[in-house]
Amino acid sequence: MSISRRVFVKNGGLALVSLGLDPLFLARSVFARYRPLPPPTASDRPILVCLFQRGAVDGLNMIVPHGEPAYYQERPRIAVPAGDVVDLDGHFGLHPSLAPLKELWDNKSLAAIHAIGSPDATRSHFDAQDYMETGTPGVKSTGDGWMNRYCQHDREHADTPFRAVAFGPQLPRILAGSAPSLAIDDLQAFGLRVPQEAARDRLTRAFEELYDGAGTGLLASSSREGFEAVQMLKRADPTQYRPAAGVEYPPGRLGKTLLQIAQLIKADVGLEIAFADCSGWDTHVNQGSSDGQLAARLRELGLALAAFNRDLGERMHNVVVLTMSEFGRTIRENGNSGTDHGHATAMLALGGPVNGGRVLGKWPGLGVEQRFEGRDVAVTTDFRDLFGEILARHLSATDLGTVFPGYTPSPDRFLGAIRG
Amino acid sequence: MPLSLIATLCLLTTQAPGASLTPRDSAFHALNRLAYGARPGEADSIARLGVMRWIEQQLDADHVPDPRIAEHERQFKILDYDRADLAGRYRDATRERQRLQREAAATGDSTRMRDARPMQEFRELGGQLQQLAIVRAAVSERQLREVMVDFWTNHFNVFVGKGADRFLLPSYIEETIRPRAFGRFEDLLIATAESPAMLFYLDNAQSVAPGSRPPAQRPPAFLLRRRFGMNEMPEERRQREQRRPTGINENYARELLELHTLGVDGGYTQQDIIEVARIFTGWSIEPPERGSGFVFRDWAHDHGTKHVFGLTFRDDGKDEGIKLLKFLANEHATMHHVSAKLCARFVADEPPDGCVDAAVTAWQQTHGDIRAVLRAIFTSPDFWSAQAVRSKVKTPFEFVVSAVRATGVEPDDTPRLAQLVARLGEPLYQQPAPTGYAETEEHWVNSGALLARMNAAMMLAKDCSSIPAIDDHAQLVEMINQQLLAGTMSAHTRTVILEQLTDIHDPEQARVMAVGLALGGPDFQRQ
Repeated sequence: MSISRRVFVKNGGLALVSLGLDPLFLARSVFARYRPLPPPTASDRPILVCLFQRGAVDGLNMIVPHGEPAYYQERPRIAVPAGDVVDLDGHFGLHPSLAPLKELWDNKSLAAIHAIGSPDATRSHFDAQDYMETGTPGVKSTGDGWMNRYCQHDREHADTPFRAVAFGPQLPRILAGSAPSLAIDDLQAFGLRVPQEAARDRLTRAFEELYDGAGTGLLASSSREGFEAVQMLKRADPTQYRPAAGVEYPPGRLGKTLLQIAQLIKADVGLEIAFADCSGWDTHVNQGSSDGQLAARLRELGLALAAFNRDLGERMHNVVVLTMSEFGRTIRENGNSGTDHGHATAMLALGGPVNGGRVLGKWPGLGVEQRFEGRDVAVTTDFRDLFGEILARHLSATDLGTVFPGYTPSPDRFLGAIRG
Repeated sequence: MPLSLIATLCLLTTQAPGASLTPRDSAFHALNRLAYGARPGEADSIARLGVMRWIEQQLDADHVPDPRIAEHERQFKILDYDRADLAGRYRDATRERQRLQREAAATGDSTRMRDARPMQEFRELGGQLQQLAIVRAAVSERQLREVMVDFWTNHFNVFVGKGADRFLLPSYIEETIRPRAFGRFEDLLIATAESPAMLFYLDNAQSVAPGSRPPAQRPPAFLLRRRFGMNEMPEERRQREQRRPTGINENYARELLELHTLGVDGGYTQQDIIEVARIFTGWSIEPPERGSGFVFRDWAHDHGTKHVFGLTFRDDGKDEGIKLLKFLANEHATMHHVSAKLCARFVADEPPDGCVDAAVTAWQQTHGDIRAVLRAIFTSPDFWSAQAVRSKVKTPFEFVVSAVRATGVEPDDTPRLAQLVARLGEPLYQQPAPTGYAETEEHWVNSGALLARMNAAMMLAKDCSSIPAIDDHAQLVEMINQQLLAGTMSAHTRTVILEQLTDIHDPEQARVMAVGLALGGPDFQRQ
């Protein structure tokens, strides 16, 4: 079945019906909104952009609980002073480096989710990242990532090679699996690497012809997809891209990546899921408070997200950007003015569909008896409930049970991160 | 099995319906599966020798002369260090990096981070391990052994990026897997279970019986002063206590059953996993400064009686685990699971029952002698069937190494080829999941990966030394067909390449174009 499956799905639902099978899109679950989905390359197709803050971001200094005396007691050297915090709701506030995002909070397109994380207690970066990407906390042998499983199941849009794109040299675990997804290190270098355009076109045609004769197997269909992608990108002409007037992305990898994601969205090549890494959050030593190491990373994040939002402008009405991180950090600062591996952390969701202007999730408090294992912020929201809500309510996923095996995110537990 | 009998078998199998392989095609097929592809002329020389005789030689790897490998291996310093050396180097590198981090944070100058030389050196040393695998696969005459080392390393996968596995992996491959690649499955299974790399990777090292505590060790006096003097807060002491493992960890037990032995449909329950985990409590590793070797900690072992798979394990220390591993190694589900995986590697992505059954029978008869199991697969009609020949797509590792062998590119000790394999999606030893890398084409064939293969092909074509630059295009393409594809180039490929060459008059350019298209085209992706 594996050889023909992709071709099979590409040929559309009719083939499925004629074989007497239920097309997947008829089997919508209770989560789905019964709204007609736009064609894959239409400009109002919902898009999800995920940024993985690898290294475990200190959620408490990103979304600061400045109304909690315990926060200041436990962090004499690294707490963000109440006067510096960009207040959100009287209890929580943004780290001052994230000030560029305040206007999104005010126009209700930015939400923060606190005390979110994994039901698994591991404090290993490796294990926790793995669980967050496979979507199966505690189970190590899951072969594919949850984003790929979403693509495997909800295949209505499988006919564009740009449906799921990871920006980086290799496909991350979250997108690994049998549904086609692309890893793009640099949009401008995607395709055959030949310096002169004429020579490149010629070589591209030659390979295209070679594979055209390869029959009907996966080799032939995948190469066709690849060359289609090259053509689509050529028409979109990434070398000529200029962000919207007045928008400047911050220097560095994250800015460049978000610029390329914006570019791909505007090119209308059918992007539905974009994923990128953003590292440097493992602040064991001298993490700083209003200024310093963490502040510098958050500044880049804030500026990059704000630039992305302005660059896309009206297009943000159907885009959700979500940050995620494998776990949070200790409530108490350590002996090196840093923080060690903890449990729950905070995430940010922004974009038109986001039910913003609110800190979501049940805040467990920082008192000793409220903590996880006596030291860390307790998890009150399983990350699968947030991911599941976004898949169901934003991307109209039809079967969350196969995306998160062994755990069916229930609408009762959804936080209301996406507007109804 | 006497050679004459094998020759007869071979004769029978190649005459099986649907398989009309010439001796050269049989040799090319065997080279594609038991080896990393054919070097120029190699299919012919094996056809002359007799393919079954060559297969027998490969199964008896110790007696295959391998004159060039030693000289290549000498380039790799990683082979000069033992586990303790590497642990020490890693510890020093980590300390140096932490020192620089503290300095950088204090001065606010992050550019100094790039000066962490020892860590860079350690990483380069780690990178050598990948490159070494490529060199061995490309150069060694004991090809089947290299294939099997790769197979078992993947079957018993350990992720090199997880903490201590950065320095435990080299000895895992050299000392645990390599010497046992052709031995008995049972010995290999026990060796991996006792290997520090696996114990760390799947967390068994910290699996302890609930409520157990290490015997009280009074720290030396100077430490006591430091710990309980002004330097340690009660909270820090409490946190240190909390980091101590406090219960069983099921990870190893689960993967042992699901991946290493019985298989996911092997008919075990969550309760079985818990019982197995209890049996392995106390299987741990020494601290890095003492070499990180295997240690059985009696205090951490669950001394209660365990019941699993109809067996009873009474308090018997480490021997409980050994008894269980020996039992699992020869369970029918294990034989079937591992045989099917071998057949997926050697025969077809979805292997026919015939070859799997033949492998299981050989396993039963020989108590898991890997050589006998392999021989059963290679003499099964399924292996030689028309459906099997050229039915599999090469993995990125197989693609790069077979291209290197075909083009005569001399692999060196630089990370170039290892980086290429990584770019195609299979960075060696860097699969985080214990499943290892997949064998089936759907995991390797996608649009981005194919474009990357085409780029790699053009790059390797530039270094090709097995094809001379000649004026006559028809002759050039025929030479590529013979040397790179053992005469299996499709008519379509030939036509397209020749068309592309029509307006290229520089013989060197024509050579690179033709070789690149041949390597990056569909014929060479198959094996």
